[in-house]
Amino acid sequence: MPDEITFTIDGVQVKAKPGQTILQAAIDAGVYIPYLCYFPGMKPYGACRACLVEVEGGRGAPASCTTPVAPNMVVKSDTPLVKALRKGVLELLMSEHPHGCLSCHRIELCGPQDICLRHVRVTDRCVVCPKNERCELKDTVRLVGISMELPTSYNYRNLPIHTQDPFYDRDYNLCIVCARCVRACDELRGDDAICMVERSGKALVGTSRGTSLLESGCEFCGACIDVCPVGALVERDYKWEKAAHSVYTTCPNCAVGCQMKLEVDRWQRVIRAVGDWNGEANHGQLCYRGKFGLDFANKAEQLHYPLVRRDGRLVEATWEEALDVIAQGLAPHKGEAYALLASPRSTNEDAYVAQKFARTVMGSNSVDTSTDSRPELVLGLADMLGVHAATGSTWQLLGARCTLVVNSNTTEDHNVMAVPIKQAHRKNGQKVIVVDPREVELTRYADLWLRPRPGTEVALIGGILRALLDESLEDKDFVYKSCEGIEELTRSLAHLDLVRVEGVTGVPQASIRQAARLFAKERPGAILYALDNVASEDRLALVHALVDLALLTGNVGKPSSGLFPLRSGTNEQGAWDVGCAPSFLPGYRPVADAAARDEVGKAWGASLPSAPGLGVRSVLAGLREGRVKAVQVIGDSPTFDAEALDALSQAQFLVVHEHFLSDLAKRANVVLPLSTFAQAQGSYTSLERRVQLVRRARSARAEEQPAWRALAQLAQRMGVKGFEYQDPGQVFGELAALMPAYRGLSHERLSKGGVQWPCPEEGHSGTPVLLAEGLGAGKAKLTPVESPKAPRESPAEYPLLLAPGRVLAQTQREMQVVSVEGLNRVQRDEVVELHPSDAAALGVAAGDMLEVAATSGARIRAVASLTGQLPGVVSITTLFGQLASQLQASSAPDRMLRVPGLEVVPVRLEKVAAS
Amino acid sequence: MTHQQSALRERIRQAITTQPQSFSTILSSLLAVQDALGWLPEEAIEEVAAHSGGTVNDVWAVASFYTNFRFTPPGRHVVEVCWGPTCHLKGAQAILDEVQRALGLEHEGDTSDGGVSLKYNTCLGACSQGPVIMVDHAIMGNMTSAHAHEAVARLDKSDGNHASQHGA
Repeated sequence: MPDEITFTIDGVQVKAKPGQTILQAAIDAGVYIPYLCYFPGMKPYGACRACLVEVEGGRGAPASCTTPVAPNMVVKSDTPLVKALRKGVLELLMSEHPHGCLSCHRIELCGPQDICLRHVRVTDRCVVCPKNERCELKDTVRLVGISMELPTSYNYRNLPIHTQDPFYDRDYNLCIVCARCVRACDELRGDDAICMVERSGKALVGTSRGTSLLESGCEFCGACIDVCPVGALVERDYKWEKAAHSVYTTCPNCAVGCQMKLEVDRWQRVIRAVGDWNGEANHGQLCYRGKFGLDFANKAEQLHYPLVRRDGRLVEATWEEALDVIAQGLAPHKGEAYALLASPRSTNEDAYVAQKFARTVMGSNSVDTSTDSRPELVLGLADMLGVHAATGSTWQLLGARCTLVVNSNTTEDHNVMAVPIKQAHRKNGQKVIVVDPREVELTRYADLWLRPRPGTEVALIGGILRALLDESLEDKDFVYKSCEGIEELTRSLAHLDLVRVEGVTGVPQASIRQAARLFAKERPGAILYALDNVASEDRLALVHALVDLALLTGNVGKPSSGLFPLRSGTNEQGAWDVGCAPSFLPGYRPVADAAARDEVGKAWGASLPSAPGLGVRSVLAGLREGRVKAVQVIGDSPTFDAEALDALSQAQFLVVHEHFLSDLAKRANVVLPLSTFAQAQGSYTSLERRVQLVRRARSARAEEQPAWRALAQLAQRMGVKGFEYQDPGQVFGELAALMPAYRGLSHERLSKGGVQWPCPEEGHSGTPVLLAEGLGAGKAKLTPVESPKAPRESPAEYPLLLAPGRVLAQTQREMQVVSVEGLNRVQRDEVVELHPSDAAALGVAAGDMLEVAATSGARIRAVASLTGQLPGVVSITTLFGQLASQLQASSAPDRMLRVPGLEVVPVRLEKVAAS
Repeated sequence: MTHQQSALRERIRQAITTQPQSFSTILSSLLAVQDALGWLPEEAIEEVAAHSGGTVNDVWAVASFYTNFRFTPPGRHVVEVCWGPTCHLKGAQAILDEVQRALGLEHEGDTSDGGVSLKYNTCLGACSQGPVIMVDHAIMGNMTSAHAHEAVARLDKSDGNHASQHGA
């Protein structure tokens, strides 16, 4: 096949790539052909017929979106025939869409109150449509040039407008049936939550039997809204608001690093987020958190001025006063009594200045990110491979033949990470293996779902390793060349025969063998893991076993393979990179290494503390024990539960940088008003090591400041040099100079797009796959697998473990959608699955109404079903729609900060009523 | 899940899994269920989705496309009136009007008591005897308004109690 095809369009010779359609080639060549149903990135569909062209020597007028380019083809897109056909097509479309304004030459001049010379009803005018000025139909009609010859009457469908589901409003009276939304839901998201219903003149978008999106399998990602060319699908918040300007930025709500366009109105409110189709981390996709979780940037409750505790009450103060109080308050606590916790949303610049502040001003290595409660995710990887981040790239997962997902609720916690997995599974039959006691969305896609007894994950992965070696399925070349310690590993697995593994984990031997075969044979393969519900003492061992598995199968250092630790905090990766971690200086120089301390200290003109620092878990413990006395916390965090807040209130001096007067801020001695991500300029590093810019979308409303600036001012007030930063670009310049992996980066470079580190010099294009050049000088050391420990004892009064699950659709469950205060809610009985042996012991029969009581005091009513697979483990799987309506109704200023997770907890069952 | 529902699901699954051809599609499964039950209850959409590995929305897209699928239980009796070209020329409109009057209907559909389902048919294949109607799969030709009225009215009388449920 030739690399390029030459053809002629409208008399101009242009080049196209093989396989391109006429429309795609025309778009690339800058020739305008109108289209409405085609959308770049989705398969051609040929529904709207607006893109008709004439091809010399061909018959009729084919749709350019479905006709592939052929060499020497002569295409005409502006003949009288094409123009007439196109006009006819659009007139037909408009016959069911209000169009009095669309076809009027005064459209750009009219306001909603103006007298209309054509007597178009106010409700039919473009100015009252939520998509006005963003409408593709309008643009298309204008460009095709249809003027007033059309009568203003049209066939109104008279359908009810759906306004009760979370986040979206749907008005199918405005729909032009291009099916972009249906295809986005199917092709891009793999959800099929909506479909085309009926046919011919009645065909329209809908759901099965017209049910609410809550039960149709919708994940509320907003992909359908982003592709809708008209006003049929819109975000409910700020529905009619118009953007005054827009800014491309990085989503602050998880570590995937999605790029988005933020639309900002003339009152500087962030009104909308649209996925950036050029964003390499997300390819235009967002999720419920990114699409509908940014309103915290607009809240009136935002703090604008510093607050200082006087006589037990927090009162407003000037920055000078507040900084003085902090300087005084911190002075007695220099050294190990001081700790600083950065926010998961802190930028690289914030995190860098924070750790520099803690180390040089306060002389303490106790700096961490508040969400970093599972450092083993990455430490385990670093132990064996020497890298501190995911070794591969998110969208290369499209090319993986097999993906193993271990204890991760990916679709909820790192949503867009799951998109390439789902796409590849549906398009190319990519194999998906899920290891999780909980039923999560990806288990519905899994070819194999291994459901171990909670707490036995290490033994299960050990079993997979054993099966793999028993059947001699390892990548022998790779192991020979790149690994050592295979004998020790084999020996350690001797005690893990599959009979025993089955006994411990409850996973059938056959499934373990199947998993080993699948993962060994379907290469390249990738491993995603979040360590949800894995006890802290098991985490390192589990990560080591997973790295063993990746190494044995040769899935390291190759495209579409690798290990992906799914960190929870948005910028935890970046924070670690820049040294905002207790055991690392910038660039992963160990704190314990005196030469490294000297090197960094010299650059900073300071001597650095050598005492090891505390991570977030130890800081909280240290507070309870009184070892830690002064704490500075940037931002609220989902991990601050009642227990953590209690520990933090025991600090003798607590400084909090916060957006809102949160429960955390209420406990502080001084609260400094913190800029939101929308007011900040800086960079985030995503979990795939992609450094991307966070751009300012709105200015500060009063005196709120980014953390880096507040800390720099504080350092200066405390008389420490080295914090004379003028802007975040300067901070980035300093940190990049210190870190080989960031050396080629600058804000200017990042303004052209994100780059995956290492990027050692300016011209370097970044590194999508780590360890591609091999595993360095030494070989990777395989880690022996520990023999399984006795399972954790549950408290006697709560003898069972509850594995809660959540999925998008549960078609075989009876449910009702009711309207509560104008919003849809799912109403149904939950079902608790328990093993027949537990049921017999408790005297429970199928259909009995039970109450599931947890140690926390939470109680859930559920109907018993004796379908549980494991004795001692019960499960309840809820519907994502229930969570979505809960989030929609939430009154918290930052509703996506604390999305309830799926925690395995000890419970007991009580019978409420027999069936 | 009540016993009645699981029995219904069992019938549906039976219909789906005992299709004679070697591979099944969403469409073939829907047809099999409609043949077995006479209509497609909500459970049928769900079971076909589970069987085909798609979502309920995938199945609904197919089911709602074809006008021959019913989503409500059919009446005890089915009356079809042919309005194909031949019957039309031979006076089908008058027959249709009469049948509708007798059933108290204005369009296709079911009588309010669920006793009779009226369907339009584009050709019953008995043009030589037009106008034609079909009552419970029995073709009746050379209809007059009076005959049609009688045929339909007899149905009503012969089966006064239509309260019983179908398919469930």
